[in-house]
Amino acid sequence: MLLEVLQGTEAGGFILIQDSVNYCGRHLLKSCINTALKREEVVHVLGFEVSQEELNDGLDRTSAQRLHFHNAYSDPLGWTGNSPFTVHQFTLEDISTLLKQTPQAKAVTLVIDSLSWILRHHDPAAICQKLQALKKGGVVRAVIGLLHSDLHQRGTVGSICHLATSVITVAPGTRGLGAFAKITRRTKSGKLMQDEEIFSINEDLTVTIQSKRSHPGSTPMNTDESEVDPTANLTFNLRLSDTQREAKEKLPLPFVFSKEKKSALLHPGTGSGRILYEPDANDDYDQEDPDDDLDV
Amino acid sequence: MFAELNSILNTSPDSFKPGEFILVSDKHTDASFLIHHFLSFYLRAGCKVCFLGLVQSFSHYSAISQRLGVSLTQGREKGQLVFLEGLKESLGVLLQGEASKETRTMDFLRDPSSGLRGLYDFVRDNVRGAVGGAEEWGPPVLLVDDLSVVLSLGVSVGAALDFSHYCRATVCSELQGSMVMLVRCEAEEEEESDDEGSERLLRGLIHQCSLTLQVQGLPTGYCRDIHGQVEVCWRGQCDRQQAQKKLFQYKVHDKGASFFARGMSSAVL
Repeated sequence: MLLEVLQGTEAGGFILIQDSVNYCGRHLLKSCINTALKREEVVHVLGFEVSQEELNDGLDRTSAQRLHFHNAYSDPLGWTGNSPFTVHQFTLEDISTLLKQTPQAKAVTLVIDSLSWILRHHDPAAICQKLQALKKGGVVRAVIGLLHSDLHQRGTVGSICHLATSVITVAPGTRGLGAFAKITRRTKSGKLMQDEEIFSINEDLTVTIQSKRSHPGSTPMNTDESEVDPTANLTFNLRLSDTQREAKEKLPLPFVFSKEKKSALLHPGTGSGRILYEPDANDDYDQEDPDDDLDV
Repeated sequence: MFAELNSILNTSPDSFKPGEFILVSDKHTDASFLIHHFLSFYLRAGCKVCFLGLVQSFSHYSAISQRLGVSLTQGREKGQLVFLEGLKESLGVLLQGEASKETRTMDFLRDPSSGLRGLYDFVRDNVRGAVGGAEEWGPPVLLVDDLSVVLSLGVSVGAALDFSHYCRATVCSELQGSMVMLVRCEAEEEEESDDEGSERLLRGLIHQCSLTLQVQGLPTGYCRDIHGQVEVCWRGQCDRQQAQKKLFQYKVHDKGASFFARGMSSAVL
C-alpha cells in the first residue's frame, strides 16, 4: 500500500509522514517529491528545517524547473530583517501569493518540511484550520507534510493525523532489513485501510518494498537459524536418543505419591518384613486398628 | 584531543567533514570531557572557534586544555578563540540597575521570554572572520557548553531550539563550519509528562543534528575502571542510508580519555 500512497493522485489529499528520532522520515519525503516530479507535477516546498542544497541532494535534476523551494530555513523568524519566508507567513493568503508567483497550468503539490517547526510557533488548532483550508481550498492539489511525532503532545499529533488522508509512520527496521512503515489510508467514502510494510529507499530515491505485514516487535521467521545450538561442538554427549528420552519420561519422580507406592505400603507383599508382636501380661492390646477411621 | 575518539569518528584535525552539527548529550553522568576534546581538536585544526561557556569559567577550560596540550590564552590573544564567559557576563547583567544597551547577549537572564536572540547575534558577529584580519583561520566552529542550562533559567524549549536552528543555518549551512553542543538531561522518572523539559530539547536537537554522542553511565552501576558508555550515532542526512550506531565504553584519565569496545577494557582483559 505504501507505493499506492506515494503514487496517489487524488485531489484534496493530505499525506502525512510521521517519524521519530530513531529514523528520519525525510528520505521518504524526498522520495515523495521525486515521484511527484516524475508525474510532471509542479512541487512547491516550504523548507523550514533543511537548506535547499540538502533537500535537493539526490532529487531528479531533469525536472528541477518544476521544483520551487521557498527558503524558510535561513531566517524563519525574521531575525535578520530580510527573510524570504517566515513561519508567520503560513496562512492561506500568503501561500496563495507564493504559489501565484510561479505560473502553472497543472496540479500543484505543496510539501511542508516540517510541520513540527510550524507547530512550535503556532497554535495547533489554528494550524489544523489552515491545513483544512489548504486541502479544501483548491489552491493546491495535494499536501505532503513531515511531522516529528516525538516533539509534540499526543493530542496535537492525533489532531494532525485526523486531518490527513494517508498517514505513514516510519520506524527503524530490525536487523538492518530496511525501515518499517505503518500506513493508514482513508478513502473518500470514509473506508479506513491499514497496512504494515518493510521498505528501503534506493540511491535514486525509489522505494522498494521488501516484505509485508511484519511487525518489528514480533520475532521474524529466521530466529531458528540465528539461534546457536549449545549441544553442538562438545567433547561429551548432551543429547538423548529416542529410547533414552522415553525412559526418562517414564521415570516417576521421587516424592510423587502414586498408586503403586500406596498399594506397596498398605499391602506388603510376601517375604517383606512382618512385625510379630507378643503382648505382655501388662499390655493393653487392642485388636482394633487405630487408623481405621482414616480415609486413605 | 583524544586520538581514539578521532579514529572512531574517522576524523583528524587535518581532515574533517564541513557543516557538521555534533550533539553531545549525557544522562546521569558528565560528558564535558567531550567538549574539551572538541575544543582542543578544532583549535589544533586551525579553525576560528567561538565558545559559549555558560557553566564554567575561562580558567577552568584553560587549565584542562593545558593538560591536553592546547593553550586557550594564546588562542584568545591571537584572535583564534572567542570566549563568552557566561558566568561573568551574567553577574554584570544581574547586578546592574538599569538595562545596559551594550550587553544584549545575556538578555535572556533579564527576560527569559524574549528568547536567545541576543545570544545568536553574538554568535553571528563573532563567527564571521574579521575583515582584513592578520591571520586566515579555517572554517568557523561554534561550541556551546551547555545548552540545557538555559532551560533552568526560564527560557522555553522552543526558544532554545530556535537558537540552535539559527546557529546551524549560519554556521553549518552558510559558512560550512561545524557546531558542537552539549545537552544535559535530568534524571526524570516520569515518561510522558515532560513536554517542557530537557528530554524534549534533546529530541528536537537530535532531529537537527548530523552526529550524536550520547553518554551514559553503565547500566549495571558504578565501575572504577569504566566510567560509562558512549553511543555514537551518525544520522543519515546527506546520504540515503539509515543511521549507523556504534557503542563504546570509556574511561577518563588525567590527560585524556580512552575508548574501547564493550568488554574490552584493559582492566577486564
